[in-house]
Amino acid sequence: MRDSVLAFDDIRQDFPVPGRSTAMRVLDGISFEVRAGKFTAVIGPSGCGKSTLLQMAAGLLAPTAGAVRHRGRKVEGVNREVGFVPQQAQLFPWKTLAENIELPLLLRGVAADERRERVAQAIRSVALDGFGNHYPNQLSGGMQKRGSIARTLVYRPDVILMDEPFGALDAQTRMVMQSDLQTLSAEVGATVVFVTHDITEAILLADDVVVLSQRPSRMLAHIPIDLPRPRDMFEPFRNPRFDAAYETVWAAFSAQVAGARRPH
Amino acid sequence: MNEIVERALDRPAGKPAPERAALRARLAVWGQRLLVLAPGIALIAFWQWASGRIIKELYVSKPTAVVERLYELFASGEIYPHLWITGQELVFGYLIGVGAGIVGGYALGRSPRLSAIFEPYVMAFYGIPKIALAPLFIIWFGIGMWSKVALAAIMVFFLVFYNVYSGVKSVDRELVNLAKVMGANERQLTTHVYLPAASPYVVLGMRMAIPYSVIGVIVGEFTSSMQGLGLFIHEASATYDPAGVFAGITILLAFVITANFLAGRLERRLLRWRTPMGAAPTDI
Ligand SMILES: Nc1ncnc2c1ncn2[C@@H]1O[C@H](COP(=O)(O)OP(=O)(O)O)[C@@H](O)[C@H]1O
Ligand SMILES: [Mg+2]
Repeated sequence: MRDSVLAFDDIRQDFPVPGRSTAMRVLDGISFEVRAGKFTAVIGPSGCGKSTLLQMAAGLLAPTAGAVRHRGRKVEGVNREVGFVPQQAQLFPWKTLAENIELPLLLRGVAADERRERVAQAIRSVALDGFGNHYPNQLSGGMQKRGSIARTLVYRPDVILMDEPFGALDAQTRMVMQSDLQTLSAEVGATVVFVTHDITEAILLADDVVVLSQRPSRMLAHIPIDLPRPRDMFEPFRNPRFDAAYETVWAAFSAQVAGARRPH
Repeated sequence: MNEIVERALDRPAGKPAPERAALRARLAVWGQRLLVLAPGIALIAFWQWASGRIIKELYVSKPTAVVERLYELFASGEIYPHLWITGQELVFGYLIGVGAGIVGGYALGRSPRLSAIFEPYVMAFYGIPKIALAPLFIIWFGIGMWSKVALAAIMVFFLVFYNVYSGVKSVDRELVNLAKVMGANERQLTTHVYLPAASPYVVLGMRMAIPYSVIGVIVGEFTSSMQGLGLFIHEASATYDPAGVFAGITILLAFVITANFLAGRLERRLLRWRTPMGAAPTDI
């Protein structure tokens, strides 16, 4: 595929288990591609290896077998073409919000004038004007999360990897953040891989949903979501096509979740 | 907001605070400081009263005699050579110990391979009382200043080393990985992640090391020396001069208080980000 940015190619991952001679297989033959400018959600039960997949895409972990390719090149060593938004915001506590957002630009040798401009713009884009000089411990959880996203968007990485970024937020904040993320990524045409265990979130945000099974994890389905954009994050159930998409994803997901019931 | 920040930092506010609340807070701070001084003043008063009444003055001297003695020592200039030597020993010993501790702790903290080899040795040496090395250091470095510098430095070194080492090891892996993905090279990782993350530990080690540098120097001077406050105190006690002993101790106290004050300033500067400065807004 020409428009594929990131390709996971038959990924397998075994982790040693302390006190046992046999390794634990976490990922078992995962293959999918991430299309340029599209939003790919990866869902699966807790512990199935979603974070592990993102680690591989970032080049922080080499798969036991298989390979991750970024624009055709095998990922070996840290992949600086990606941006990483972790589960916790993980702003550097010793830097102010503005310094945090500036850091990737500084590390990449962007000139001071341009840095200042881009930082100011990034802060504006996540609606944190006036908080640039605050340290992370002076910001609420939602604000830290916005800062974390701004810190990634500011250097315009080729792919943005997000690991359950809204998991720890309250429901209301989460909806606002989802809506803002949709707007922001549409504005810059970002390619995003978004890990979550929330089916609704996956369907609302994604163009493609990759469904993983329980450990040892296999790919259950790769489902395109062609709901029109912009999507309403606050009242998704008003759209009958959302229900249909939910049905499809849930069908794939529930196939593996033993004894699970559809929640509504 | 700004005021909250400044007050929390305990800096003298640049601009006069217009609010009453700020004034009241300032008064409360001073009240607190007076409260802290009270036991010390009571102790000195009791000392003054008890000396000659409960205990013989020959054993404990008394505050007025100590002050008198201090005045004599400074007026005659008798104390200056001792001060100068001990001061140098303290500063050199402390700085060498802190420097080596930071470098060593950082290197071992960053390199699993080095730490696997050297950690057992360092921990073994950490356990032995460094004071026991005093006679040995006199033999190695002579009776002059450098044996005391060495003794203070080695005591300071282990404290700082241990703190920095654990500090660097406890740096959040995820923060390191994030910085790498953002594009940090090794040097940038050091300046933007490891050192700031370890700075609370560095500062803690530096604070804890202050009294130890004093102990190292004074014990060294007690053991064998030609000049210095330790020798002065030693001689004063050998000649039944408790006022002289307490005068020497008072000067040491002044050293420690000054050093603590400076360390406190450094701490507030380096760890600005840790003090919660004003409350976080509650929602997005
Ligand atoms: N570095 C590691 N060493 C050993 N086991 C690991 C390591 N990283 C992850 N695991 C294990 O792999 C499994 C999948 O982890 P993870 O990718 O974090 O799952 P998820 O993000 O889907 O919840 C877990 O059981 C976890 O304990
Ligand atoms: Mg995870």
